[in-house]
Amino acid sequence: MDNGARSITCAATVSPVPANAGIGPRADIGPRAGIGLRAQHHLEVLSDAPAVAWFEAHTENYFADGGAHVEALGRIRANYPLSLHGVGLSLGSTDPLDTRHLERVRRAVNRFEPELLSEHLSWSSVGGRFANDLLPLPYTEEALRHVSSRIAQAQDFLGRRILIENVSSYLQFECSRMPEWEFLGAVAAESGCGILLDLNNIYVAARNFGFDAQRYLDAVDPGAVLEIHLAGHSAVEFEGQELLIDTHGTPVCDAVWNLYRAALRRFGDVPTLIEWDTDIPALEVLAAEAAKADALRAEVHALAA
Amino acid sequence: MPSLRELQSGVMRALLDGEPDGALPLIAARGIAPKHRLDVYANNARANFIESLISSYPAVRRLVGEDYFRQCARGFHTRHPSLSGDLQSAGAGFAKHLSELHGDDEFRYLSEVARLEWLVEESLLAADHGPLDLAKLQRVPAAGYDDLRFCLHPSARLFASKYPCVAIWEANVGSDAEPELIDLGGGPDRALLVRSRGRLNCHRLSCGEERFLESVQAGETFTAAVERAAARNEGDTAADAAACPFDAAAALQRFVLAGVIVDVR
Repeated sequence: MDNGARSITCAATVSPVPANAGIGPRADIGPRAGIGLRAQHHLEVLSDAPAVAWFEAHTENYFADGGAHVEALGRIRANYPLSLHGVGLSLGSTDPLDTRHLERVRRAVNRFEPELLSEHLSWSSVGGRFANDLLPLPYTEEALRHVSSRIAQAQDFLGRRILIENVSSYLQFECSRMPEWEFLGAVAAESGCGILLDLNNIYVAARNFGFDAQRYLDAVDPGAVLEIHLAGHSAVEFEGQELLIDTHGTPVCDAVWNLYRAALRRFGDVPTLIEWDTDIPALEVLAAEAAKADALRAEVHALAA
Repeated sequence: MPSLRELQSGVMRALLDGEPDGALPLIAARGIAPKHRLDVYANNARANFIESLISSYPAVRRLVGEDYFRQCARGFHTRHPSLSGDLQSAGAGFAKHLSELHGDDEFRYLSEVARLEWLVEESLLAADHGPLDLAKLQRVPAAGYDDLRFCLHPSARLFASKYPCVAIWEANVGSDAEPELIDLGGGPDRALLVRSRGRLNCHRLSCGEERFLESVQAGETFTAAVERAAARNEGDTAADAAACPFDAAAALQRFVLAGVIVDVR
């Protein structure tokens, strides 16, 4: 800490979060599509109370002891169902599990009482240094045992089941011994976690590594999938070869909407989230994407009926 | 087959140290060279880190311009990569990094502005606290006044610089207008940052007020704080003393009303 920052000697109070302030019991996260909550939309959500089914917030963005963001999420949470989605736990790392980080996740869970809590099937640190990105694991027996036990440890610490999301990837390790879908399913079975299936990440990986995305869906246990993510991606080129990059900064593409149709048929009415993390558009744009997901859901279920 | 630990260490050296040799043989090419595949992640790691600095240091960025800011941030990332899964803390040492780059040139003030911006970050994220309960103060018997210890709001951060850094900071955040010219010799600046009713306030301080708050924040009694505020420092000139009168009752009132003093023990 810099010289200018003096120690604070007063005991701090944890900011009070209103529980269901004034508007009756809060609904659970239902099948209607929710949207990712970003700080630039806090004021609009609080003042206009838009008809959004539920919000998902990045857990780490609300780690602060107090202040405006924590207060805003508390007030938003009083009016909407909420999911907290972590990006920093580095569950696949071979470093000791970061209990300080986990403690802050637990504090956020106690504060905001989210219906859903999720993290990623990835690692982002080793030797104490962090890339702060979602790095893919090798799909080996060792990694399977390791990450499953870490997820179980985290679930024990937090006292609840968490959902684990498949990540986008731009590389595969030579030592991998099974496809990602098999690894993901085995991790869920061994750790007892739920699966947050990101259809855009499946599409990106399928295109980058040349497999059939439908095959991925067909291999995932329908009972384990408790949330679906939809997002956009971008493409870059290396020596004439296209590589899709999961920017989460564009609308959901047609191919991923088609994958969503297939997912609805296989996994049923699972909570769906529109995720948009960079170049964040107006709230209406996100709400329109969520409405599109809801329309598809109605269409698929009408056909099934 | 490499162990998971070996694989992760090799990849991290590629991403953070620019040493991909250990990781390259572990990665399948499939049409795109492993080096390019690693670069996607290395660029992401750097971009995420720099974005975090951009959000913490808007005034420094405006002062030096986008290109030089990114160059400094990149150098800082190489020497001080993130040590946490929460990028919020990544920028903690940036002021020191700038002081190493510009310790004795005409941009010496940059690291001071960065130090102020980091205190702003700390203040914005600190715990909440309500105002002082005046009834609690009234319950203190007169005999106990000397030993009263006041508590500052958890978001209170004191800042002092020989440069007019507060003026520089104020001129470079919150408005896109061309900032006024500020005389670097126009310092020193002393200020207290504190959140009150949902917003961050920056109170300019006299040197007496600064010493008073330093003493209170260090947990000293009210009597000791007043004595320290009124005392002349070695090297104070008569002009300093004249410029820094200290009125204990006025200071107490000011800091209670402004939500700076929030508790009493």
